[in-house]
Amino acid sequence: MTVATPPREARNQRSYWGNVFSALRSTAAGMRITFRYLWSKPVTIQYPDEKLPTDDRYRGIHYLEQDLCICCDACAKACPIDCIEMDATRHGKELEWHQFELDYQKCMFCELCVYPCPKDCIHMGKEYAFVTEDRGELLLDLLTWKGLTEQQKIRIAEAEARKAAKAAARKKKEAEAAEPPAAGEPPAGGEDKEDA
Amino acid sequence: MNLFPIALPALTEAAAEPPSGDVGNPATDFLQGLLPEAVPWWMLTLLGAGLAFAAVMLFVTVIAMFSVWLERKVAGHIQVRLGPMRVGGWHGWAQSIADGVKLLLKEDLAPEGSDKVLFKLAPMLVLATALATFVALPFAPGLVIADVDLGVFFILAVSSVTTIGVIMAGWGSNNKWSVYGAMREAAQVASYEIPLGLSLLPPILYFGSFSLVDASAQQAGIGAWAETSGQWFGMAWYILDPTRWLVSIPSFLIFFIALLAETKRAPFDLPESESELVAGFHTEYSGMRFSFFFLEEYAAMFVMGIVGVCFWFGGYSFPGITALEPGPLLTFLSILSFTVKGLLMVFVMMWVRWTLPRIRIDQVMSLGYKYLTPLALALVFVASLIEYFAFVIAG
Repeated sequence: MTVATPPREARNQRSYWGNVFSALRSTAAGMRITFRYLWSKPVTIQYPDEKLPTDDRYRGIHYLEQDLCICCDACAKACPIDCIEMDATRHGKELEWHQFELDYQKCMFCELCVYPCPKDCIHMGKEYAFVTEDRGELLLDLLTWKGLTEQQKIRIAEAEARKAAKAAARKKKEAEAAEPPAAGEPPAGGEDKEDA
Repeated sequence: MNLFPIALPALTEAAAEPPSGDVGNPATDFLQGLLPEAVPWWMLTLLGAGLAFAAVMLFVTVIAMFSVWLERKVAGHIQVRLGPMRVGGWHGWAQSIADGVKLLLKEDLAPEGSDKVLFKLAPMLVLATALATFVALPFAPGLVIADVDLGVFFILAVSSVTTIGVIMAGWGSNNKWSVYGAMREAAQVASYEIPLGLSLLPPILYFGSFSLVDASAQQAGIGAWAETSGQWFGMAWYILDPTRWLVSIPSFLIFFIALLAETKRAPFDLPESESELVAGFHTEYSGMRFSFFFLEEYAAMFVMGIVGVCFWFGGYSFPGITALEPGPLLTFLSILSFTVKGLLMVFVMMWVRWTLPRIRIDQVMSLGYKYLTPLALALVFVASLIEYFAFVIAG
């Protein structure tokens, strides 16, 4: 109590009743704020039951559109840490797949494997929770879609449905282009785009 | 028949003649109907005491468990979280039960070098005092375990014995943090007993009785006070009497602040301030002994809240309920109203806890001695004047 108070603080010191009323006022203000927050919607979610939506550009576990893939090894060559292994035997137009394995012990989700693909058949998925008790399970066989979640399988099915719709549309366009020869220019341009 | 015949001289006319008419213990009355005539009176008394104890124990446990769950939900939602959501299905309602079972299965440890007797006795003493305070609470018209004439006085006296238990726990633990916590508890509770008791005097003067039973009956307009039942839709609550607002509102505020300090709740939770003293006096406790302290805290909150409810907010009375004929429905609705009001008070205590930061020990002392005590004294003076002039005017 004998500590000398600086003059500025001394000026700011409240009177007895000023203290009482400022305490009441500030407590009431604080209680009003917490009461408002009490009824606000919680920002947290029940994680394993519901998940926050991932961004469209999110780089999760890959998924492979297997029947499009031509086993060109471009993605494996692009991979800076060599975590993609693929192997297939060609029987005419058919490929007999042996292996398309991604090593998630190494993968850093850089997305560099996606760009060089000539068939646009390898993609970054949205699945991020990939926890196992065994390191061996981190070697994911994308061919059989082993270890993929239900959600991811649904996404792959959706992607395949889209692909089928696209192919159907292309076939229809081609048929239309074949019938009236006068309107040959625009569909040809469209086909070029498809190839690129 | 009174289970706890504390024969204290009646202070006023009102206290001498309880308006509820039947002062018999409901537990013994209930048993008397069931058992044959030949049962001796002492056995009836013992059985009644056992029944009353079982009822109180059940009530306290349920209330404390519900309060713990409520506290966690309130804390969660104030911090824009969800709180417990998993156990039991609906919003984690069984969380407290799961925690209780877990604590029951934990090892009962006592630290090396601790005073084993004090260490083991402390939680029992603390819980026993918390349970004992429930004895004087009027749950419904005519439903009180012991109609103590000095009801509030009894509750304050018994609940302050908790401090002894806390000091025993702190000292017996052989831990410096525990001793710090216990000493803070002693200093804090001893300081806040004064404003707590003083702030209760205005309503005591208003009702002319120390008894919670009388205060509740008076506010509900039951028995001798039936003529007041017309006011305020059957409520003659102290806080609703505009001629007393000058004292009733500030005295309630002082009572509420002092009760927060009495029950060691934030912002006065210095005895167990976890950021400085680990967990204060119950640092060394594990398992069921720890949960006894926990149970005591929530039981004490409820009891103190009920004291406030009985003196300011009409006890078990509620518009429409007290107009009913005496019977099981009235009793049930009264108990419901009583419990809901008590839990509302507990909710406000939680709301305060999750709003205000803990204050320093010197601030605790200065608030208690420099602000609450003189203000409460002044209020007692003003209340005495008001009651005197009200008496003179009424003739």
